[in-house]
Parts: sequence; structure tokens; C-alpha cells
Amino acid sequence: MARLLLRRLGLAVLLVLAASALIFALIAAAPGNVAALIAERAAGAGADAAMIARIEDELGLNDPLPVRYLAWLGDAARGDFGVSLRTGNPISEEFAARIPVTGLLLLCGGAIALVLSLGAGLAGAASNGGPLDRALHAAALIGASTPNFFVAALLVLIFAVTLGWLPSFGATGAAAWVLPSITIALFPASVLSRVVRVNLQEAMARPFATTGFAKGLTRREVLWREALPNIAVPYLTTFGAQFTLMTIGAIVVETVFALRGVGSFFIDAIRFRDFIGMQASLLLFVVFFVAVNFLVDVICLFVDPRLRRARG
Amino acid sequence: MLPITRRRLLGAVSTLTLIAALPRGPLAAGHETLRIAIAGETGDLDLLQNVSTLSSYTAVFDALIHYGPGGALEPGLATAWTVSEDGKSIAFDLREGVTFSDGTPFDATAAEWNLRRWMGVPDFSWIGISDAFEDIVVDGPNKITIKLKRPVPAGLQELAIVRPVRMLSPKAVDADGKQTAPIGTGPWVVESYDSARTVLTRNETYWGEKPFFSRMELIVVPDELARANGLRAGDLDVIGGDWVATLSPRRARALESEGMTVVAEPGTAAMHLGFSPTSPMVQDKAVREAVFLGIDRAAIATVLFEGFADPTVDVFPANIPLSGKRHEVPARDVAAAKAALAAGGWTEEGPGWSKDGQPLELDLLVSEESLPGSRRIAEIVQGMLSEVGIKVNVDSVDNATIHERRPAFDYDLAFFTTYGAPYDPHGSLGASFLKATDTGPDGKIYVSDDLDPIVKAALEATGDEREAKTQAVYDWLWDNVAIAPLVVQQRIWAHGPRLQGFALPATDYDLPFKGVSAS
Repeated sequence: MARLLLRRLGLAVLLVLAASALIFALIAAAPGNVAALIAERAAGAGADAAMIARIEDELGLNDPLPVRYLAWLGDAARGDFGVSLRTGNPISEEFAARIPVTGLLLLCGGAIALVLSLGAGLAGAASNGGPLDRALHAAALIGASTPNFFVAALLVLIFAVTLGWLPSFGATGAAAWVLPSITIALFPASVLSRVVRVNLQEAMARPFATTGFAKGLTRREVLWREALPNIAVPYLTTFGAQFTLMTIGAIVVETVFALRGVGSFFIDAIRFRDFIGMQASLLLFVVFFVAVNFLVDVICLFVDPRLRRARG
Repeated sequence: MLPITRRRLLGAVSTLTLIAALPRGPLAAGHETLRIAIAGETGDLDLLQNVSTLSSYTAVFDALIHYGPGGALEPGLATAWTVSEDGKSIAFDLREGVTFSDGTPFDATAAEWNLRRWMGVPDFSWIGISDAFEDIVVDGPNKITIKLKRPVPAGLQELAIVRPVRMLSPKAVDADGKQTAPIGTGPWVVESYDSARTVLTRNETYWGEKPFFSRMELIVVPDELARANGLRAGDLDVIGGDWVATLSPRRARALESEGMTVVAEPGTAAMHLGFSPTSPMVQDKAVREAVFLGIDRAAIATVLFEGFADPTVDVFPANIPLSGKRHEVPARDVAAAKAALAAGGWTEEGPGWSKDGQPLELDLLVSEESLPGSRRIAEIVQGMLSEVGIKVNVDSVDNATIHERRPAFDYDLAFFTTYGAPYDPHGSLGASFLKATDTGPDGKIYVSDDLDPIVKAALEATGDEREAKTQAVYDWLWDNVAIAPLVVQQRIWAHGPRLQGFALPATDYDLPFKGVSAS
């Protein structure tokens, strides 16, 4: 088991290293000059060629790309992501202030997605082809096909502008988190509800379900006791993937609801050509993706002994 | 510990739902707070760094001179000033009894300390009065004189720009002279700031007319639709302003139709279609004339800007000082445009024109990211010029690319905007029409060896000569059809129903709070 975990961890580290090299190369190849931006920030219209050359020298921008990459990676590993060209603040400070915002959004969205998907999947399986099952199928299809910026606008229009029940943006108070959390949860909830429904359907056709019925259990009891634990691995794997994908949703949702999280920092960095901010944000996303997937793998190994036996 | 039962769980969820569903009106910040949307965080308002949002400085910091409507220079922390006959010294009478919000008195020593932070410093040589700085003399507790190496005709106006000219408390810096807190003498005091909002409280010791509101929140809402919805929902009081949180003409019309109050006033920055000085095609004056005549500026103003723009053929809007004689905006004239091409030796062949075997085809460089709305304008221009027979290729690029290609004149046609108040006319003339100035990524509207001495003469002219010499620049540009001015976009703001007395300040770098009260 320990060897298996170590192997997974080693793979995760390799993946982060490969992705970081790709991020660095892509940002380095992008048009625009970091030194020019720093000079512009310091001196506005007074930024001239000599000043830009001096900053290039100071930052080591004339060094070979691999040297620059290793220096950047080393600093990043120590938590030093550099200074944002847009805000002038250390990026580690920006992250410290913004990760809790994005984290809370993802947690709330994840919790809603979890509850909705299990509820809708189970209800659909219990209905088994009935009107409720068909209605939930249609709802999932709509939920998975509607872009989150549209969902956000619609929710704001109804609950903030028309009814005045909830704030239209911001992060002040619990009520302010309701609309962003629902918006970000809708897509994963729709996808996951279908995962639950389809896997339950398959599980209900397996011999252990038939045995359950033979023992006199009702359909609902078989669903809860026999089928549901058996879909844990596919559900957790898909949930992990959807949870990480919510970071992409967070970029839009944070912008639309004026939440000052990592997603909005990334968008601002793109908009203002803050290359250092872009690099740091992308690296953070990669680490998050890899970490969540690693965690899901570990949980699956603990949940399902068959996986431990197969991989061990 | 109580066991979690289904009943308790349902009860807790219902209570939380009920709390979330409570109307927020009575719980909101109250009538004493003015809530203005800003597109990006204000930052630390460091006066020497080019980072913080420009529009927030004027709420906290005062300058010696303030920029008034139409470019009138109004007393700020200086009550009077006298420029010597040779133009090389400016004596100021400072306002007495003023203190910074930390209690430090504002006097000649504080003013001198502030001015020496940027005057004569190489990083600020782009400001004429800094470049020509020689010394400061303290003439008394409330009198100072700035000594210059040469006259700077726009020097007084330069003292009214946003930064770095404003006055900071001498106690608000560290041992290295770096600003540690935004402490000024202005009407507001920064209580707190972060990436989500900046909270300001009324400066009760402010020397001028105090704001009605005791508190002002500048709330970061980057998305325009979210700002409009915030205004509709009553979460915001004011949105708009080019340098604050842009309100597009289309959205403004939508808000207007819903009963919101939209306030629009003539803008101070003009939008131009620039001709590359290195493109052989547009160096043909006949082509420039045809482009100039083939564009329907009124249609652009009406259709694309929903009426929130004024057509123009002048370099600067009339509300900019020394903006010169006004020209009537001609109606679009396709026949005259074609005649100009024919007179220039171009031959009409089928749907297009050619000269010496070269077809008339122009690249229009555009970046939606750099200038929102510009791609639609480019497409309209493309359509209009195609009726003249000029083929225009719209080259849509990202922000970084336009910032590289524009300074290199790597285009035939490109959009430019002048800086606007309080930086014009000297700001745009010096940066966008002089060959030698290093303007970095913004590029230049038009430069030529013939134009250079005329612009220099205008920028160096003093006294009564300034008007005539500046007019000479406009005349040269007009006679040579060196630029194709398009429109002046209006300054658009919108506010909610509870505000009264809303009026726009002189520039979009100022926040609109003066005279505003709540019903």
C-alpha cells in the first residue's frame, strides 16, 4: 500500500514538473516584455529603452531559458512567486488573501453538487423510468448544457434584481455566497447526477441486487444498502474531476459575482499582461488539479479493496 | 451534545434558508454610505508608482492646483500663483490652516518636501515641469517658489494631473522615502483597502466643502453586466466613468429605459483613425483624403455609440484648453472620395482602385482588448470604405501585439485616442505627434520631419503666442490630412434613484461625489 502511494506521489510530482515547464515556456514565448511593463509601472510615460534594459538585466531576462526556468521553479517551491505586475504586491500575499475565497466557493459548490447529484440520481433510480426520472434526466441535460455566465445572469435577475432577496455580487455575508455557489455547482451536479443514475441502473442489474430482492428488500432498500456503496469508485473519480474543473467555472463565476479569488486574479493578470501573475496562477491550478486527483486516487484505494489488490 | 436527527437537520436548513431570504434593505450599509463601482482595486495609492487606479487619488490627495471645467485652473492647496515674466519661476501662496488627515500641518516645508520627491527626478522627466526643474525656494511659512531652467508653458496644468503631483503627509513614508500610507489633505480618508473594496470616511478636517456622505465604498466589480445588475438591485449607487468602471453606450441605454438616471456629458478625449507615417500606401495624400471623406462619423456616433458620442474632425474636443478653431464635420461624400483618388492618379478598376499596378488595399490594425468597441468600428469603417472602392483588411490582434506593432508603425490604419483632461493638449501633442519622444507601447498618432518643429514650437510657446503656435499644429494636420478624427465619446455614468444633485466632475479621473446627496 505504501509503495503504491509513493508511486502515485512520484507520478504527481513528475506531472507538476512537466506542466510547470510547459507553463514557463508558453508564457516566455508570449508576445510582450515583462521589463517594459515593470518600467511602465515605475515611471509611466517616462519608461525609456535604457530603463527597460536595466530591468531586463536585473531580472535575468537575458539568461538562457532553462536557467530562468530553474530559478523560477526554485523560488516557487519556496513560496516566492514574484511580484504581480498589475498590483505591485507579492503574489504569495495575493494568493494568501484570495485562496480562501476560491476555496470557499469550491467547497460550497462541491457540497451543493454532492447533495444535488446524489439526491437526483437516487430519486431517478427509485422512479426508474417514471415521470420523475425523465424530468430529472431533462433537468440534468439542461444544467450541463447551460453556460455558467448565463446561469449567473439569470439567477441575479431573479433573486437579486427582481425579488431583492440576495445580493447581486460580493462576498459580504452568507447570503452573498448562495448565488455563486449554485451557479458553480449546476454543471457538476448535472453531470454527476447522470453518473449516479446510470451506475445505479447497472448496479441494480448485478447479482447482489437480485439477491437483495430475493431476501425481500424493497427497491429503495436495495438502492441504499446494496447499489449505492458499489458506485462509490466511479462516483468519487468523476466527482474529483468535476471538482477540479470547477476552478475553470470559478474564473467566470468570480468575475461575474465580483469575488476576489484566484480565478479573478488570473483573469486580471491576462487582461493586464501580468505575465508573472499568469505563471503563478497556472502553476497553482496545476498543483490543485494534481493534488485533488491524487487525493481521489488515495480515497478510492481505501474505499475499494479490489483496487488495492489489483494495483498492489 | 445534541444528536443530529432528521427533524433538527431540517429545522436548521429551514432557518438558514429563511435568514438568507430576508430582505436586505434594512441590513444594508445605510444612507450614509455612497457605493461606487470600480473596475479594479484602488491599490495602495502610492503617488510615485504607476500601479494604483488613477481615479481614486483625487478623493484622498489634493494638488496645489485643481483642474476645473473646460480646463480652468482652480485653487487647490495653493490659493494664488504668479508666473514670472521670463516664465522661469512660479511663486505660490499656500492655503493656510490645512492639515493632513494624520494631523500633520500642510505648509511650505511640507509642500517643498512633496515636490522634491518627483521634481528633477529622471523617472518623472516626462512631466515638463519636472524635466526643467532647478530648485524650490521657501519664501515663508506659506509661500514657495519653483525655479525652472526654462519656461514650461503647460507647467501650471501639469501641477493639476493625477500623480505624482499631489501632496502626501511627510510622516507617511518610511526611512527610504517609500510611501507607507495614503495620507492626504483631500475630502476622504482611506479607512481600509483590499482587493474587493476600498472604504473611505469623510475627512472632518477637510478645508473645502465636505461631502454629504460620511462614508464612501469603492467596490471592485470587474464585470460590466454585474455592475449594471448591482445598480438595478440597489447594491450600488453609481457606476460609469472611463477610468473608473466603464459603462458602455448600449448598457447605458438599457439602464435608461429601465428608469435609471444616466448622466452623459461631452468627453475630453478624441478617437482618431491614424495613418502610418511609414506605410507607402497611406503616405499618398489622395488615399488619406479618400479615407477622411469616405467615413460617416455621424453614423458611427449614432449607431455604434447609441448617440453617446459626438462626431469630430478636430484633434481635440472643444472642452480642452487651446483646442483650436473648430471645423464643421462634413457629411460622408463617396463621390468626393473617389474624385480625390482619381486626382491622385489612381485608376478605378472594377470594384477597386490601383496605381502603378498596385491595388489599393489597407490593413486596419485593431485590438478589442486594447480599445473596447474598436472592432465594431473597424468593421463599419471597412464597410464604408469598400463603397469608395478601398479594400480594408481588419487585422484584429491581442493587447500585447498591438502594443508592439503600433510603436513600430506596422499598420496602414490604426485607432488612437488622445489622453483627455487634464493631460491635454500638451500631453497628446508631446507624446503622439513628436518623433523623439519615447511613448513606449502607445505608439504615435502621426509624426513627420515637417511636423516636428511645428509641434516643438507649440509646446515651447509662452504667453499670447501659445494659441497661434498650437493652432499651427492643427492647421498642418488639417492641410495634410494627416489624421482622420472620428468621434468624441461622451462620459457616461448612471446612478440609482436615491441620489440627488449628481454632477460630473471636470475629468473622469475624479470620482463624482461633490454635491451628491441621498434622498
